[in-house]
Order: sequence, then structure tokens, then C-alpha cells
Amino acid sequence: MLQILVVCGAGLGSSFACQMSVESVLQEIGVHAAVDHSDISSAAGSRADIIISGKNFESQFRRYDLSMDLIFLDRLVDKSEIKEKLVPVLEAKGAL
Amino acid sequence: MNESYFTEDNVQFNVEVKDWKDAIYKGVALLRKNGFVTAEYATEVINNVKKYGPYIVISPGIAIPHTRPENGALAVGVSLMTLKNPVYIKDSPSPVKVMISFSATDNEQHLEIIKMIVRIVEDGLIDKISSMHSIDDLNHLIGGERA
Repeated sequence: MLQILVVCGAGLGSSFACQMSVESVLQEIGVHAAVDHSDISSAAGSRADIIISGKNFESQFRRYDLSMDLIFLDRLVDKSEIKEKLVPVLEAKGAL
Repeated sequence: MNESYFTEDNVQFNVEVKDWKDAIYKGVALLRKNGFVTAEYATEVINNVKKYGPYIVISPGIAIPHTRPENGALAVGVSLMTLKNPVYIKDSPSPVKVMISFSATDNEQHLEIIKMIVRIVEDGLIDKISSMHSIDDLNHLIGGERA
């Protein structure tokens, strides 16, 4: 199954809240995926297919040189922004 | 009884703050008062924001100060504070009017608090909460769907 990891600084608040919004978007568009949340230090070793995080983490992620798709949000709990940025990635992966 | 329920002990309306650090100290002080966190928790939140940026600002107008359990969390807890003068959290794109601080003991057990926060954001309740002065009204507004 498609794995999506939502990441923030502490890995239990902002990322957890974002995970809920991601899950409701996935439900709305009918995509099954396993969504989890973590802090940025453990994200580097992740095997997720897609990582979703806040804009403020973009430069840190770029340094990690990760192979999965990265999505950066201005608003972590904004379903329309999540949908707008997640749908093209899911389509490219053939998940939608 | 629900840990995301607001009482006189964990809510303060219309608080005056000097800057974003002062706002975090005051919001976390309400957690400290209830024995949810140690004295170091607020400093740890501030250090995390300095290190990672304003990740606690999850949507315009609202910040959710928190840090890892090992940084001084003693129990799952929440506090709510509205600001008299909205402040930018470091370089956050928008000023913060409502702060919901919380403590967590692992990655999952504070689920009810996160659900409440998401509901507040998704239902667009931040402006309403920022102008409130009654705990009963607050609980009524955010607990409206709860049985």
C-alpha cells in the first residue's frame, strides 16, 4: 500500500493534525494509503512513498537528498491546499 | 471527562503579550499550573521554533505550542489562550490570535486534543474564539458535535 508520512518539528502535533486532514482528503478522493506522522530527524530514514511537511522544512529536506516525492504546505490543516498538491503526485504514481 | 475540555484552570482570554516568546511562556504556564509539564517545557518549545521555524502555526491565526514528551511533558494536557495583541511567531506568515498549547506523553495518546484542534481550524472557528470571553461559550462552540 502507498505510504504517506507527515512530518513536523516534534512529530506529534502539527504533523498529527495534518495527517487527519490528509486522511480526509484521501477518503474524499477514494485513495487508500497508510498515513503516519513523525518528527523531522526520523523522517530522513523513512521508506514512505510521499512525505508531506510544512514550507518551513523545505530547505532541510532538500539537504537530505531523498528519493520519495516531497510536498510542502503553507497551511498544514488546509484540505484544499492538500488536495491541490497531493492529487498531481498521486496521479503521477498511478494511484488515482 | 475529557482532557480536551476547557475550564477556568486552563483558559485565559485576551492576554497581553510582549512578543511570541512571551506568548509561548504564558500559554505553557497554564499547562505548568495544572501539573502537565515541567518548568523547562516552554523553553524547549521556543528552542524548537528557533531551530525548525514556526511549525506550531498550523493555520492563519492559530498556534499550537508543543514539543516532544522527553522535553518536560508529565501528562497529556491542553490550555487555550487568546491574545489581546496578535503576534507573529518568529517569521510566521500570519499573526497568531489563538494559542492552544498542549503536552503529549507519546505520539498518539493526545488524539482527542488534535481532533479538537483540527475541528477548530476546519470549521473556521478561530476568529470566533479570539473574540470570546466565556468558558461556557467556548466549550459550547467547540464541543457542539460531541455527545
